[in-house]
Amino acid sequence: MRRSGIRQTLHEIRDTGAVIWWRFFDWLAVVSWKKLLLVSLLALVLAGILQHPMPVLMLIIASFIIKVVAGGKRRAELTAGEATKRAETEQLERTVVEARMEALQAQIEPHFLFNTLASIDQLIQTDPKRASEMQKSLIRYLRSAMPQMREGSRPTLGQQLNLSSAFLEIMAIRMEERLRPVVNVPEGLKSAVFPPMMLQTLVENSIKHGLEPKAEGGTLEISAEIVDGQLAVHVRDDGKGFAPKAEGGVGLANIRQRLQAMYKGRAELIISVPPVGGTCATIKVPYEVSRDAAT
Amino acid sequence: MPTKATPTAVVADDERLMRDQLVTALNDAWPELAIVGQASNGREAIAMVRSLDADIVFLDIRMPELDGIQAAQALAGATHVVFVTAHDQFAIDAFQQGAVDYLLKPAEPERVALTCQRLRERLQHKPDPMNDLLAQLSQRLGSGTVKPREYIRWVQASVGANLRVIPTTDILFFRAEDKYVRVQTKSFEALIRKPIKELIDELDPDEFWQIHRATVVRVDAVEQVSRNFRGHQVVHVKGSTEKLEVSRTFNNLFKQM
Repeated sequence: MRRSGIRQTLHEIRDTGAVIWWRFFDWLAVVSWKKLLLVSLLALVLAGILQHPMPVLMLIIASFIIKVVAGGKRRAELTAGEATKRAETEQLERTVVEARMEALQAQIEPHFLFNTLASIDQLIQTDPKRASEMQKSLIRYLRSAMPQMREGSRPTLGQQLNLSSAFLEIMAIRMEERLRPVVNVPEGLKSAVFPPMMLQTLVENSIKHGLEPKAEGGTLEISAEIVDGQLAVHVRDDGKGFAPKAEGGVGLANIRQRLQAMYKGRAELIISVPPVGGTCATIKVPYEVSRDAAT
Repeated sequence: MPTKATPTAVVADDERLMRDQLVTALNDAWPELAIVGQASNGREAIAMVRSLDADIVFLDIRMPELDGIQAAQALAGATHVVFVTAHDQFAIDAFQQGAVDYLLKPAEPERVALTCQRLRERLQHKPDPMNDLLAQLSQRLGSGTVKPREYIRWVQASVGANLRVIPTTDILFFRAEDKYVRVQTKSFEALIRKPIKELIDELDPDEFWQIHRATVVRVDAVEQVSRNFRGHQVVHVKGSTEKLEVSRTFNNLFKQM
């Protein structure tokens, strides 16, 4: 046991040595010749005072050789590393633009629109009152989906809820008893700032992957709360649950990227499995009240 | 194939309003056609067509349990199929190439009349099993039974008392520890109660590499590979300070690096 302890210590020393050596190597690669000469001279003088000039002289010569032979390659590697970092930032910026474009396109799924119009068509003949209700919900949905991407506006949770509840009203007429929507958001939280088209993506995912594939359907609940100064918005369903091989991650990946770009690590999207089954998606963002919260 | 005195049909759609709409349109266009059953998913549709021996089935493409394409595959050759869809451009393209008929929602009277006209002719012949078309459709729609090997994109793992669903793209590495496999992401760790061997089978080998009996690392996350004091390769991962040893068996993975 003791022996292994000593071995451990020796290994650690070796590791540290390696780290220091690589730092020295990096420095050697990027430092200018002028500076290297100056430092060498100083070291030599210092070593002379200490009366051990030989090892230092050897080290200096070795350094020169290393700089000539390997310096160029190492310097290239370091520059490449920096370039990669810069590229990553640019990539992130590009992702934001792309995400915005995608969100714009994904706003109104044609399949949803055509199915809804077909349902209204049927209701006009059989139940005109319901047809009119459904049409009003559709108008409300389209209206609140339109200005989502307006630059500079800071959408509130209330606006997002408006959109999603219009969508849920339509889906509830279409899916009948197979969809039971519940909205459980305190009035006071509706003025909180919340990014656009995220709640709606979660709601659509829940229906598409959770409830529609389940013959008997189920409940979909939107709720919101403040947790440790953060606004947490949940979309929970007791549907089919998350398929580990499901493709449906595009919308979720899009939300993650947008959160990262907007809040730089102060926001997150969490997917979990409630004890009763189904799926719960939670978006946490810093809690902030919108100044023009009147709407 | 002898036709019955009255031709019979089953209508399948997961939304009742859509079924009603189609039934109304069919009644107007072809009063003699008896709608003997209405199904709300693919499985029900198959059972109804078989038990009622229906001549025709109208299948919505997107349905729970089994979708329209899967139901058509199960019923191939046994009944005449008409697909119904609101908007699936790829499916519509495929229909136009094949001999199969389809209707768009909401069903327009003229279009339904045309379909009924064609069906009257088709009823004189044996139903076409449409093998090629269905295979093509199921591939495009991602349904059906024959699929290329698929790998998991999400893992379920516990974080404290919660069960989280984590996209594999967030995972830096998996490490087998005692009875658990630890899942490490940039910001947290989670546990899976499953042997790492089983997990390795489910992961995409282009996405994750096994580098040790107990370690699987995300290829994209590998920052550099160095050697430790014992001459073993050690993997450094972006976003974690942990260093992962590569066992000799997997040494050749990083030969080029």
